[in-house]
Amino acid sequence: MQNLLNFLYRFRTFGFFLVLEGFCAWLIVSYNQRQNAAFLNSSNAAISSISSFTHNTANYLNLLQVNKQLLEENEVLRTQLAIGNRRSYSIDTSLRKYDFIAAEVINNTYQRGQNFFTLDGGQNMGIEPGMGVIASKGVVGKVKSVSQNFATVISVLHRGLLISSNIKSSNTLCTVQWDGVSPYEAEVKYIPRHVSLFEGDSIVTSGYNSVFPPDILIGTVSSFNLNIEDAFYEAKVKLAVDFTSLNYAFVIKSRLKEEKDSLEFITIEGP
Amino acid sequence: MIRINYTRQVIHLVAFMLIQIPLLHRFILFDVAFGFFYIGFILFLPLGVNRNITMVIALLTGLLVDVFSNTPGIHASACVFLALVKDYWYLISIGDYEEDINISWNHLKLWGSAKFLIPLILAHHIIIFTVENGGLSGFFSLMNKIFLSTLYSFVMVFTISLLISPRERRM
Repeated sequence: MQNLLNFLYRFRTFGFFLVLEGFCAWLIVSYNQRQNAAFLNSSNAAISSISSFTHNTANYLNLLQVNKQLLEENEVLRTQLAIGNRRSYSIDTSLRKYDFIAAEVINNTYQRGQNFFTLDGGQNMGIEPGMGVIASKGVVGKVKSVSQNFATVISVLHRGLLISSNIKSSNTLCTVQWDGVSPYEAEVKYIPRHVSLFEGDSIVTSGYNSVFPPDILIGTVSSFNLNIEDAFYEAKVKLAVDFTSLNYAFVIKSRLKEEKDSLEFITIEGP
Repeated sequence: MIRINYTRQVIHLVAFMLIQIPLLHRFILFDVAFGFFYIGFILFLPLGVNRNITMVIALLTGLLVDVFSNTPGIHASACVFLALVKDYWYLISIGDYEEDINISWNHLKLWGSAKFLIPLILAHHIIIFTVENGGLSGFFSLMNKIFLSTLYSFVMVFTISLLISPRERRM
């Protein structure tokens, strides 16, 4: 017994080291599992206000770029409006399935292995964990955690985010997942080999999981390869959104999500 | 007798940590080299202090950085490791530290800085990038990131330590 105690005493520093490393390992593992851990990440209010401050300071330097993006977006919206007017139908708001909440991106990474960004809107604007996030050009991510005034979003540039998607031309279901190499490209998985695929095919959201509305652009096929023994294509998609200059984003609030999910749950689980 | 120069530690804290944190993702070169120079604060903690205390300080430092970069635990674990091995590595690479436990650029000079800092920064970067990457997948781009970031962080830690080294003994 005395020997054991002596042993423990001699290695107390190393033991303490192991305890601390164990604590870190627990943090790393649990962060990837919990849906809403607003304590130790950038949606924490104190942390976000600092990020927000540096963002505001840096914002003046890229106003030119922001203006350009807004102009482009205006152009797209005007075109849509023109098409809508020609068809001249009225949009009944009670039938609208999705609400869009605009928010500013105050902190963004795209060079790391797993990327997140922070929005300056949280529970106060009705943002909740699990909602989809798009930018003017296409899909950008999914909300991970939310505090009173801020939200942390898992970027498309995060290997944990799988997006249910469609090839627009042939309506084939596939999955988009980032491969961790370049911030401009992601992988498209599970395209069966009987489908004919072309470079430049649009990959859009499928709308099956009520996170994203259907037909939102993710990107266009940039290269693909079909090995003789594989059941699926190996394809890459060029992302529509330029993550290196992401300034504004829209959080998608699905009005019918609960209804759809509960119906599907009942169908799968039985009454 | 251990005499810790607290003013110097505060200067290190300000120079390394408080500059790094708001600008954590702005010191990135060509999308591959990450400048994590906040570890200078841990590397320049006084030598020979109770290692448990050093490790707790390193843990808190790492957690603070983690919170800003959405990586809870990754920087913290690497920092705790640094705090554990730093004193041993000083003995091996530089030698005994009897005369003064408060290290600064004046003790290390150029060659000493390279010998003492680079291996520790490399170890830290290997831990954070490998854990963040979730293994060794994409081996070459990972190694590329690690080595270029190590070089970049070293240049920044070296420059800052040179700038804040005590004036009277500067060459």
